[in-house]
Amino acid sequence: MDKDLLPNRKHTYWQRIKSERVLYLLLLPTLIFFILFRVLPIINMRLAFFQFRSRGNWPFVGLKYFRIIFSSPGFKQILGNTLIISFMKYILLFPAFVIFALMLNEVRSFRFRKYVQVVSYLPHFLSWVVIAGIWISSLSLAGGVNQIMAFFGRDAVDFMTDREKIRWILMICEAWRSMGWDSIIFYTAIIAISPTLYEAAEIDGANRMQIIRNIILPALVVPMITMFILNLGFFLNAGFDQVFNFSNQAVESTIDILDTYIYRIGIEGGQYSLATAVSLIKGVVGVVLVWSTHIFAKRVSGTGVWS
Amino acid sequence: MKKAKRLSAGQVVLGFFLLFITLTMLVPLLNILAKSFSSPLESPLMGGLTIFPKDVDFINYKIVFSHPILVPALINSIIITVVGTVVNIVLTTTAAYVLSRPKLTLKGPIMVFLIIMMLFDPGLVPEYIVVQQLGLMGSKWSVILVTAVNVYYLVIMMRYFEKVPLSIVEAATIDGASHLQMLFKIFYPLSKAGVATITMFYAVVRWNEYFRAGIYLTRKSTDTVLQVILRQFVVLGDTVSIIGQQNVFDYNVMARVDYDALKGATIIVAIIPILILYPFVLKFYAKDVFSGGIKE
Repeated sequence: MDKDLLPNRKHTYWQRIKSERVLYLLLLPTLIFFILFRVLPIINMRLAFFQFRSRGNWPFVGLKYFRIIFSSPGFKQILGNTLIISFMKYILLFPAFVIFALMLNEVRSFRFRKYVQVVSYLPHFLSWVVIAGIWISSLSLAGGVNQIMAFFGRDAVDFMTDREKIRWILMICEAWRSMGWDSIIFYTAIIAISPTLYEAAEIDGANRMQIIRNIILPALVVPMITMFILNLGFFLNAGFDQVFNFSNQAVESTIDILDTYIYRIGIEGGQYSLATAVSLIKGVVGVVLVWSTHIFAKRVSGTGVWS
Repeated sequence: MKKAKRLSAGQVVLGFFLLFITLTMLVPLLNILAKSFSSPLESPLMGGLTIFPKDVDFINYKIVFSHPILVPALINSIIITVVGTVVNIVLTTTAAYVLSRPKLTLKGPIMVFLIIMMLFDPGLVPEYIVVQQLGLMGSKWSVILVTAVNVYYLVIMMRYFEKVPLSIVEAATIDGASHLQMLFKIFYPLSKAGVATITMFYAVVRWNEYFRAGIYLTRKSTDTVLQVILRQFVVLGDTVSIIGQQNVFDYNVMARVDYDALKGATIIVAIIPILILYPFVLKFYAKDVFSGGIKE
């Protein structure tokens, strides 16, 4: 058989790429960005197994830094704080986002609903520094919250330095900031429900609660799963920016999380290798969490996070 | 028997509850605004629930806009927001254009690469060392370049570009349009809402950035951005470096100002650009969310 009659796949593959070279040239700046600021840092993560030196080679030290981390009593406390705060924000608070969307949908007045939406979406766009500023001011001894408490005859509380309350404050603040914006995913799923379903339910004599339970909630299952998996991916983050701006010496021990620990030992303390080792643990666990829940959700419901 | 719209008890309770939630967002902001516009003699006595200024005074804003640290920080914030957003848009839209071409040979591997980059966070110190290695420490380019492309926004942009009809693209190709002409003459005009949406998102993130500016722009006190100063002043309560040691000793106008009201004025200045962008965000991104009505 004549060799030339067989299609030469490899040749055409490279020729196709060559014919697209202008496109790859356009993509080049973005690829350079990812190589410089994402791939190089990933290569730098080897620092977890090496001792840092600003000049010359980094000597290999094996698992030294991981041993230090796992044997330090502080790390257990920090990991515990991270898991507790994540649990409160991502699991305990989870129904609030769905309930907010349901409540919004029950409002009859178009103008009042729009007012609630415009106001409740706004905090999502404020910086964490600004949010902390607003909350510190509102929760201070002379702030609005204590003024309301005084009206009901309660003693003033210095909320921001109260170790018992600070985690709840973080959770409520998270709701305050994201309830509006993050419930959009559920609200759009509700308004996408076909009106014929409601008409049929009305003919059958269903009341509002039955409509919510049998028509609206089933439509929210898929967005709930998507949101839940995304939240799991953040589980070891627990919201660094919030904790970083809400923390103070009085409450640090109860809300110190992995990322604030990394910042403190890495950037403030200059212990680059130790901080990198914590980041490596965090990164690997995060990827495993997202990947496994993605596969699990895909098997259960046919919907994963990205495909 | 059909009754005209009468509010049921449930509707009233729901209305009050939602009103309460929105008030927890509005009252603190209006309170800060009111205090910042009140005279330093009145503002310390105003409670946390007052929303009207007493004895209107612009002293706090005069201080903010003539302050030797706040003014350079404000200018740096504006520069980083504008240049940074332009860098974001140029990179994101060109990459989205390339990756939304349906027959691109290497699309698969490149997308896998991007998703891995999105999922795996190398962490703070490895990035910090790269910024050192590249000699970007203390330069505005550190903050601008480290967050040059956001994969989520890139994917949003790709979705918009994929909606551009292929027939138009093919007609333009036959007419000999270059890729850049294609991008400017066809893709941008046909995806205005998409480009506007990611521009708003990027600009908001740029303006609100405080963390990287706080660790990379530390050479001089005039290098940093507004959010970093705000954090130092409002969150960490460092009034001395804002008021100035000498002013405290002299106990002059600067030292006699109400610090809380001055903090308030700084917060308001940091919020204003967000309030300017916010209607556009709602117009382009959340437009569909406002149209839904109750179905019964």
